[in-house]
This record gives sequence, structure tokens and C-alpha cells, in this order.
Amino acid sequence: MIVAENLRVHFRTGFLRREVRALNGLSLEVRDGDFFALVGQNGAGKSTAMYCFLGLLKPTSGKVEIMGQAPDLGSRLYDKVAYLPEEPHYHLYLTVAEATRYYAALYGKRVSEKTLNETLERLGLAQFKDLPLSKCSKGMKQKVGIAQCLIHEPQVLFLDEPTRGLDPLAVREFRETLREIHQRGATIVMNSHVLSEIEMLANRVAIIEKGKVVVQDELRNLLTLDRELYQVSFEANGHVPDYLDAVERVGNMVKGDLPKERLYDFMDLAKQSGLHLHECSLKKATLEDSFFKIVKGEDPHAGAQEMGTMPVAAGNQG
Amino acid sequence: MTELLRANILADLAYYRRSRLLLAFMLLSLLLTGLGSLPPLFSNSGVQSFNALHEVFSELNGFALVLCACLGLFIISSHLRNRSLKMVFTKPCSPAVWLLSAFLSAVLVSLLLNFVILAGSTLLSLVWHIPVRPGLVFVSAETFAVSVGLIAYLMLLATLVHPAVAAICTLIFNADLFYSAHLWTEAVIRSGNKGPWLRGLNGLFHWLYLALPMLYPFDKKTEPVHVSLRVMHGEWKYLFYSLAYALSLSAFCYCLALFALQRKKHI
Repeated sequence: MIVAENLRVHFRTGFLRREVRALNGLSLEVRDGDFFALVGQNGAGKSTAMYCFLGLLKPTSGKVEIMGQAPDLGSRLYDKVAYLPEEPHYHLYLTVAEATRYYAALYGKRVSEKTLNETLERLGLAQFKDLPLSKCSKGMKQKVGIAQCLIHEPQVLFLDEPTRGLDPLAVREFRETLREIHQRGATIVMNSHVLSEIEMLANRVAIIEKGKVVVQDELRNLLTLDRELYQVSFEANGHVPDYLDAVERVGNMVKGDLPKERLYDFMDLAKQSGLHLHECSLKKATLEDSFFKIVKGEDPHAGAQEMGTMPVAAGNQG
Repeated sequence: MTELLRANILADLAYYRRSRLLLAFMLLSLLLTGLGSLPPLFSNSGVQSFNALHEVFSELNGFALVLCACLGLFIISSHLRNRSLKMVFTKPCSPAVWLLSAFLSAVLVSLLLNFVILAGSTLLSLVWHIPVRPGLVFVSAETFAVSVGLIAYLMLLATLVHPAVAAICTLIFNADLFYSAHLWTEAVIRSGNKGPWLRGLNGLFHWLYLALPMLYPFDKKTEPVHVSLRVMHGEWKYLFYSLAYALSLSAFCYCLALFALQRKKHI
């Protein structure tokens, strides 16, 4: 569906013409029907990558294909594509209704007043429809961006920080809408810093660091990366084993992380001491945990490789 | 295609109506035009009335030209600078269609403006009991043709350089300047100074004069019409030549601007 191969974007900036490598051999593949999230620190190259996917930025080298075609601005390929930019780069002199109608008309179809009103109503913009975009708040502009994405039924959505500036209610509604669109079979590529949001929505994730993909995998694999630790909670009767990490005590209850190699020692201890064991499970990593581990340069572990996680950094270095 | 053109033209017309920069520029130009046009209005003899009409008509045509040039400049530069084109080109609307819409919208405004000026001048002729002269139609149509070429030229410059640089190029470094410079170097060469650098400079000025678009390419032929507002039988053809020149210039500028827009590394 979307393939990027060894994308490089280098440019020079400033008085001394210092070279900036925004993308440094980024390769990834988004499959049909994926909800694909691009995750990375500020300046990692997420938005630049998205610009390259959309054809808004010509890469220094490398190849991009969407649905088997190179992105050629304004071509028929974009019939099925919707894009929500990170910055509110809209036609600020238009009103909310005019902008939504205009963006919809750029797909070559006139939108009925009913559809327009329904979309604006759904996003809570109906009462502001005659307000110029230049006078709208950032969140309202973002909603206009969302409206223009939703007004026709796109097959591929590119969302660059879609919930930035939205109020919590709107975030929740938008999340539901995205789920609906995804369930309908659309492919969604999303940039976001809100990792919890990605955990709720995406099925595949690429972590980008310094302009290249360091990990690209199913979200569920990234969430169970930590196969080295078990999480245990039990009622202690005085004795807490010293090999337990990150111990938390609430009254008599003890919660902690148990290294894999001490699991049987702990079980023996529990049996001998008659510990009342509440929980002993493989520790689940959140996306945030995985992200920090990967970005801070810790080994995304053997566990990841056992499960088929693709640490693609090595592959990108050529 | 028609739907895309329609949508883009409507959006562009909204821009012309609401752009504060354009509005401020228009008011300033109107003020300057008004200052130039008001004194002749207080004349009372027949000859003075004709002169007054001539003066007002010329001032208003000048205003129309300046305003149309601004339309071409601002419509491109404002969209490029605030990066709103990414919302257009990530839809099935190509740069070619968008650029054509921007050009057509500015031409529409120019047409309307020239029509209003012509209607106003005709009305003034009737009020002042001056016979309505065909020169009014001729000059209005020629001004429209000039404005079409100017719009296209400024659209091209706006895709290539900063709008301030584009304005300076149009106002100062234009064909007239290089024609004068060419005449000056030629005069110096004729007076005996035949240094190679002077000859090179002369060639460069001549080349630039030929390469840059001219506002009134047939001004020597149409000058009597501008002065008397009368059109002789053989003079109408220069109006069609002017139109043909404007259309050719527009097509050339459009192709170059499109090429520049498509070659931009970052929209």
C-alpha cells in the first residue's frame, strides 16, 4: 500500500550552510488496512517522512510509492487520500463552512448542504460555520482539518498530530471516528506524540530516531517486549526477597518485578513460606516503556527478536 | 476540471475580497488616484471637461493596472508563503489547475474593473455633454490586455522570488529601464568610446530589453488614440495585436510559473 525505500532528505540551512539530515535512509512498509503509527522524538523526521509520502517534499534520494504509484501532486491518486496537516496551514481567509466546502470540492464533487452541515454538526463546528478560519482557535482549525478528511470516504488517511489542540471530548469522538473509518477498511498513517492514543488505535508502529526507522512492528509485539520480567504481588509476612525490583508496599501488600531467572526461586519461597500470592504474570510493557528503551539505546532485546519484532536499524545503515 | 476551476476561482475571489494587505494597497492606490483625478473635476468649459475626462480616465486606468498587478502578485505569494497549497495539492487538484484558476480569477477582476471604469467614463462623458469617443473602449480594452499580461508576469515572478523582489523587478528593472540604458550606452559608443566592456553592456541591456515583457508593446502606434480618444480605421488592429501579445506573454509566463511550482522542493 505505502512503501518507502531508503529515503534521504538532506538540506543546508543557516549562514554557514550547515547540512541537516532530516531523513537518513528511512524505509518502511504500510500494508493495506493498517492503522500505522509513526512515533519519535521532536525532530526525529516523522512529519518529513509524511511529507515525502504525500509528495509535498521531494526526497534527496530514495523511493516512495502509494498504492503502487509515485506521489505526483494533485494527481488522480489523491482521489482516495486525505491529509490532516500538523500546522494549521489552511486558507485562513475562508470561513469554516467555505473552507470545508472548498476542500471537499477539490475532490471534484460538490458537497450537499446537508452533508456539510452534518459533518460540521458532528464536530461541533455548526455554530461557528460563518467564522473566518483566521479567527478560529487552534482546536477549531484542527476540527476543520478533520472535517475535510471525513467529508468524503478516503481509503488512505495521513494524519499529522491529529489530536493536537483538541479538547478531551473531541479527542474521544475523533478516536471513535478513526476506529470506524479503520474498521471500514481504510489505511491510516498517523504521527503522534501521545503514545497512549497510539496504543488505543494503531495495530502497527514504527519508531523513528534520527531520520530512520529503528523498530517497525505490530503494536502487540512492542507491548510485550519485556519478557525478562514478571510482575508479582503478594501478601508478605515479614520477608521480602532481595532479588525483587521496583518494590512497592501498600500495607501488607508487596508488588515488585521479578527477574525471569529467579522465578523458580520465588515459587519455592512462596511455597515454603506460605505466601499469599495475588499475581504473577509476564510484565506488560506499555508503548511508552518500549519507546524509551528503544530510543535511549537499550537493546530492544532478544525477546523482541524471538517474537519477530523487526529491529530495522541495522538494515537501514547501508 | 470545471468543478475544480470553479471551486478555486470562488476561493480566490474570497481572498481578493478579504485580504487586508490587498485592501490596504487598494485604498492607498485609490487615494493617490483620487488626489490626481479630483482637481480636473472642478473645470467648467467644454475643452476643460474633455481634459478632465481624459485625466480621470487615465488615472483610473493606471489604478486598474496597479491593482491587477497586485492581484497576480498576492494571490501566488500569499498561498506559497502560508503553505496552504499543501491542502490543495494533496487532493486531486493539480498545480496546473490551481495556477490557471488563480490567473483566471485575477483576469475576471480585471475585466470587471476595466468595465466599471469604462462605464464610469462613458457616464461622465454624457453628464459633461462630451461626445462618447470610441477611444474610451479602445483604451479600456488595451488596459485590460496589458493587465492580463502583467498579472501573468507577476504570477511568474511570485513563484520564483520574494514578492518584494518581484515588485522591485516590475517597477524598476523593467524593459523601459533597459531600453533607456541601451540607448545611453549606444550614445556613448557613438561618441567614440568603444571599449569592449561598454559594447558588452550595450548588448546585455539590449538583450534584457528584448527578454523582459513590455507593458505597451505598440505604444508608438497607439499614442494618438490615448491622447485624442479617437480611433482611426487602421488603429483597431493594434488593439488585437496588444491582446495577442498579452495572451502569448500569459501563456509563456504560465508555463514557466507552472514549471517553477512543480520543481519546488517543498510545498
